[in-house]
Amino acid sequence: MTTSTECTSSSEPRRRALKVAVAALCSENGFTSADDTALETLTEMIQSFMSEIGRGVRGYCELAGRTEAMVSDVAITLINMGFNIGGIEQHIKRSNKSVFIPPTQVTAAPIH
Amino acid sequence: QTPNTTTSNQNQVEQKTAGVPLSDLVLQLEDFPPTIPDSVTAYYLNKSGFDSSDPRVIRLVSLAAQKFISDIANDALQHCKMKASGQSSKKQGKDKKITLTMDDLTPALAEYGINVKKPSYFL
Repeated sequence: MTTSTECTSSSEPRRRALKVAVAALCSENGFTSADDTALETLTEMIQSFMSEIGRGVRGYCELAGRTEAMVSDVAITLINMGFNIGGIEQHIKRSNKSVFIPPTQVTAAPIH
Repeated sequence: QTPNTTTSNQNQVEQKTAGVPLSDLVLQLEDFPPTIPDSVTAYYLNKSGFDSSDPRVIRLVSLAAQKFISDIANDALQHCKMKASGQSSKKQGKDKKITLTMDDLTPALAEYGINVKKPSYFL
């Protein structure tokens, strides 16, 4: 139980960075403001999504007898989760057009 | 300028072929900085037992997570706009601000099979 409380306290800067990223994505999509409840829900979801990918990728790379994850492991995990990989390329192209990448400064924050 | 022309060519080819050449996407990843910081993604991946020295793998995950949230936000925006068009037009004129609320997010998430209940209390 002590480890779990430690985890939450140390992951707070990361969570804040995630919240900024989620807010940036919402703003990119055309929202001008957002409720805190909705942002927290999306932050929780993105956190869960990334943890799920990590779990899946580890499973697939260990199944293949490797310890180092490869891009193909990530791809198969995403497909297994019902995620459309083809859409990623369109997404990165579009987000490149609307230049809105403020949280690069936040990268320095997670030193706790 | 040559990479831009090659990517546009790849894009045209991709629309014709059924499969997506993932290796092409991976090669492009370096040029697209994600909104989610890579270190944050790496932290959450490490937390669930994943370890990789390849930065492209981490970047692919952060871009996927980004797209996931972006799609949901876009769905919520459509719900918001549909609701706004149903309402009176005089309110729509002055209503330039679009706020993301749980009322719009809940039906958007329901399409993904996620049922969100409104928290009874929230600090």
